[in-house]
Amino acid sequence: MSEESQPFEAPEATPLVSPWRIGVDVGGTFTDLALLDASGAVHIFKVASTPAQPELGVVGVIEHAARELRLACSALLGDCSLFVHGSTIATNALLEGKGARVGLLTTRGFRDSLEIRRGIRDNAWDHRTPYAPVLVPRYLRCPVGGRIDRDGEEIEPLESPDVEAAIRRFQQEGVESIAICLFNSFLNDAHERHAEQLLREKLPTISLNRSSAVAPTMGEYERSSTAVVSAYVAPRVAIYLSELSARLATLGLKQPMLIVQNSGGLQSVQSVIEHPASLLLSGPAAVTGALKRVAAQSGESNLISMEVGGTSCDVMLLHDGTVSIADAFDIAGYHVGLSAAQIHTIGAGGGTLAGCDEAGMLWVGPQGAGAVPGPACYGRGGVEPTITDAELLLGRLAPGPFADGSFSLDLEKSECAIRERVAVPLRISVEVAAAGMLKLVEQKLTQAIESVTTAEGHDPRRFILVAAGGAGPLLACAVARQLGARRVYVPRTAGALCALGMSLSDVRHEFARVHLARLNAEALPQIKTLLCALAEQGREQLAQDGFHPSSVRTEASLSLRYPGQIGDLRVAVKPDCGINLESLFDDFARAHEQLYGYSHSTSAVDVCAVRVVAQGDLSLPPSEKVESIDADAQPKTHRDVYFDSHHGRVPTAIYAGAALRPGQIISGPVIVEELTTTILVYPGDVLEVDDYGNFLVQIEPGGDH
Amino acid sequence: MQLDPVTLALVQNRLDHISVQMGQSMTRTAHSPIFNQSHDFSCFITDHQGRLISQADGIPIHTGGGDLVVQALLDAFTQNIDADDVFLSSDPYVAGGNHLPDWVISRPVFVAGRLMAFVCNRAHQSDIGGGVAGTYNPSATEIFHEGIRLPPLKLIERGRRRKDLWALLLLNSRCPELLDGDLQAMLGSTLTGARAITKQVDGLGSDVYHEYVDGILDHAERRMRMALSSLPDGVYRAEEKSDNDCFEQRDVYYRVTVTKRGDSLTVDFTGTDPQIKGFKNSSFSNTRSAVYVAVTSFLESDIPRNAGTYRAIEVIAPLGCTLNPRPPAPVTMCTVLPSHEIIHACWMALAQADPQRACAGWGKICHWNMAGPNPDGSTYVMYHWGALPAAGAVRGRDGFDQIGPLNSLGNLVVPNCETYEQLYPVHFITHELRCDSAGAGEFRGGTGVEYCARVEAAADYAFRGEGQRTPSGYGILGGTMGRAGRVDVRLENGEKFEAPQFGNGALDALTLRIDSPAGGGWGNPFERDPAKVLRDVRDELVSRTTARDVYGVVLSEDGREVCEAETLALRRV
Repeated sequence: MSEESQPFEAPEATPLVSPWRIGVDVGGTFTDLALLDASGAVHIFKVASTPAQPELGVVGVIEHAARELRLACSALLGDCSLFVHGSTIATNALLEGKGARVGLLTTRGFRDSLEIRRGIRDNAWDHRTPYAPVLVPRYLRCPVGGRIDRDGEEIEPLESPDVEAAIRRFQQEGVESIAICLFNSFLNDAHERHAEQLLREKLPTISLNRSSAVAPTMGEYERSSTAVVSAYVAPRVAIYLSELSARLATLGLKQPMLIVQNSGGLQSVQSVIEHPASLLLSGPAAVTGALKRVAAQSGESNLISMEVGGTSCDVMLLHDGTVSIADAFDIAGYHVGLSAAQIHTIGAGGGTLAGCDEAGMLWVGPQGAGAVPGPACYGRGGVEPTITDAELLLGRLAPGPFADGSFSLDLEKSECAIRERVAVPLRISVEVAAAGMLKLVEQKLTQAIESVTTAEGHDPRRFILVAAGGAGPLLACAVARQLGARRVYVPRTAGALCALGMSLSDVRHEFARVHLARLNAEALPQIKTLLCALAEQGREQLAQDGFHPSSVRTEASLSLRYPGQIGDLRVAVKPDCGINLESLFDDFARAHEQLYGYSHSTSAVDVCAVRVVAQGDLSLPPSEKVESIDADAQPKTHRDVYFDSHHGRVPTAIYAGAALRPGQIISGPVIVEELTTTILVYPGDVLEVDDYGNFLVQIEPGGDH
Repeated sequence: MQLDPVTLALVQNRLDHISVQMGQSMTRTAHSPIFNQSHDFSCFITDHQGRLISQADGIPIHTGGGDLVVQALLDAFTQNIDADDVFLSSDPYVAGGNHLPDWVISRPVFVAGRLMAFVCNRAHQSDIGGGVAGTYNPSATEIFHEGIRLPPLKLIERGRRRKDLWALLLLNSRCPELLDGDLQAMLGSTLTGARAITKQVDGLGSDVYHEYVDGILDHAERRMRMALSSLPDGVYRAEEKSDNDCFEQRDVYYRVTVTKRGDSLTVDFTGTDPQIKGFKNSSFSNTRSAVYVAVTSFLESDIPRNAGTYRAIEVIAPLGCTLNPRPPAPVTMCTVLPSHEIIHACWMALAQADPQRACAGWGKICHWNMAGPNPDGSTYVMYHWGALPAAGAVRGRDGFDQIGPLNSLGNLVVPNCETYEQLYPVHFITHELRCDSAGAGEFRGGTGVEYCARVEAAADYAFRGEGQRTPSGYGILGGTMGRAGRVDVRLENGEKFEAPQFGNGALDALTLRIDSPAGGGWGNPFERDPAKVLRDVRDELVSRTTARDVYGVVLSEDGREVCEAETLALRRV
């Protein structure tokens, strides 16, 4: 460890203050560990991920951190008061088609809801690409008699012999996990519960995923899909989390490990095993925790985060301090009807490929070079140029060791790829080609952010752009300028934002009930009763998780819509203080206006669901201010960096990020090199270090580079 | 002028983003479910001469007709177009429209006093008057029965809305509140587009901007011509038919001659039957769009779709034939039918040129629409989309078992039965795939569905049973035809009848059963992977008999394995 990386990496300079929190994020390339000690100091560690056996990476990064911190593993884990893990185990099972053999119980007449889907394809014009394979073949979708009507009344009883027949088929076919989705069960789950009981008696150890428990929402396709996805990933999730918990306990962890769920909140291992689909967005959702810390440290409550990794960019929006929660999401072509942080992902990252079509049009992405071969400059056989190659060619990255020494960058290979695939066919210089590739990717990122802000009715100029991931801070200033945003914020931990976010999240449980009613005075008592019951359920769950009632918060909301609408909006209510009908109408109208640009002042409003979110507060350690310094920052070196055709190559000061302190202000052109990311500051822009050691770039207005 | 390839790509991507952003704005602000849920609108941009330069947003059948709308208004208002004017038009005979319900808002964009572009939004209105509620009148025999006709009109003159005209429009709709809100949403979305175009032009300068627009069109033309060059030269003929003219059962023929020479294509419908009595005639604008859908979907899905793309394709349809009728022939159904037949005919002709890319036929629609009173006295309109048909196969993919109509390449949402039970007086009994219905092939067609619903109250119906009598999903390259649809009705009093294909009627409570038409197969069924046949048999989508007789696959007694030796023997014959 070099001298200049103090105080962020060198432990001897700032001894850890116990107890500390640890977040471990398993990503596609790296497994990151963020340690947040009781004084608020943050330490980041990385090792290469081990996709075939992700638990090895988790243990590996713990051992690596212990070594670096000169602690025994048992000491590192023993003084850990909160250990949080984000895992891609469920996501990968789905993406790679390596989940369980699932059987599905359906209502007679509706055996094919799962396979009919809803006719939606990503690109209407591409009619040749098939759907993602159906997760349960038709012969394992077993119909049973029995019908609940639209009012939730039973009109035909459940036919137990049909369930018995299904059980025989499941046994005969070696089914490993079961989903149950019966028609109208969101109104009355009696048949599903009865079927579940019959299955449980005959198959006592198998994973059962009942749609009315997993996602009690209206719509037979969405509910079956969610229950089936849950069943599909359940066995792998259970084995992985149980074994990892046991392993961590052996290594000295005294606290139960907690898991990040789709919403960014935390859950116990047991809860996740019961609701395995809540693990599907485990990694990226953790950014919510980190954004809240950025908001606290920067004093800004409107943030757009842009995390640019190897092949994709995740955009998330924090508005008035809150991340929007979606009621459902799609992953790998499968619908999951569970709450999740709203994340907009596009195919643009360091490994994104560029080229030109046969008619001479330059393109960038969405295809990526993948981990293998990766960018041409990695020297692993890649011949197509990537964004990373363009950054290297223009001097924004330096040849040689990269990403904490994980790779070595070969400038000649980049140049060769860009020349052959872009510059020669388009008859332009390699520099213009590389700069063009970056302009295109910046445009893509800008447009992705504009889509998110337009869809939610916001003006992007009112937001601060938070850049993270290895490739984000290189592109952020150009993107901010195109958006008209005035500031770019790069957290000191930009290279491991998810891992840090994990250690900053709260425990969160969400409970929802479909409840269809016209919103009026007569409807209120029942709504209140339902909300109170859900809140009680939340408090019980958190008590089981070990929370004292004083650190438990519950937030209730109603899902509302105008009659005839299909979509709905969540509006917060406080059932304990009584619900004021008029302000509820007003709140809904305001939310509708914000999102859709209009509201109906005279229209009736319908309730379609009631929800309670119960959170167990894990009181956060303070943010540690970093000691400021009066001296000017000293660059570690200079090199020529190409910014744009206007500036050409400019001699640019290169700073080591670890050496920069609060109070220091540097005018662009500047490059700041961090362990796993690089910040590019354009001529005219100004970089400063805030009280917490994070980087803030003021964007020169008007200048269009 | 030498164009910079980087700027060219940036301008192209930005234009597409602007049309998508216009669409997002429309979705956010429109009032009618047809827009905010079904996205039955398309935003597009033309240059100052009305040449289509971007249509990234919207539905396939709207593609490529937008230029005619702008060209018609340019003809009508040559010297009289000002900044802050906004135009409205719809008529297929005088305003370049496709059919009357699709109203187009066109907003000119002036930068520094110079006309640079038109930003437009074409959107299917909820009601425009005419013979029945909801714009589709199966009994129409003249365009006058189909709603109000709009020539190019100035809806906003130098920034001021023409109140008299606005009132006239609202007065001619059964849903004036929806129309009012939706028109405003359309205006708003074009304003978003106009601002973005202005910013784009400012960044480049107007002369340079025009150069890059030319560059974008030229690039698209090169892409299309390169794709066409990959097909062998030749004259390819095909014919498709409908079994009715909306009033009686009789065959109506759609004949096409596709001539491919070098890097150009001529699509000539000479020989097609004369215009028909019912509303399935196609305006020329729609005929051209349907041809573009057929050709681009046959070739490559990522070819840009703008005026440059279409320079390489000439479309001929003699005046007076059903694909270019004389007024006052009714045309409202054309975006669905005969778009389906046009695409089929072109696909069949192109298949002769490139069998590997051949597309088997899709089932034609046969679902009903119904309307009736809600408990609060308002009117509901329900489409029985749960009975949508299946798609045909292509190499590498079996047909989608249930999908939206071919004109939108299936881009329509299939509703959940549970949701519809909450919204309408229906109780669902069955919504499942059909057995032994799919056209056989190395890749089989989609199965279609068995759809059964009890409608619990009297309602008004519009029948649209194009696919219910004659099989429509043709097979290709040895693949077989998918089975026809069927529509049966049983009234509460026990009376049963097969539904008429087209028309209107009021019926009491009833049980409606629709078997939706299946898709055609691609290639020789004997070439189908036996493992897939086994899976279909296990899934009860193909019977053991069909597996043996049609696919030449013999299964073990327990039906769990393929008998390889016997299968091989059978397939060798």
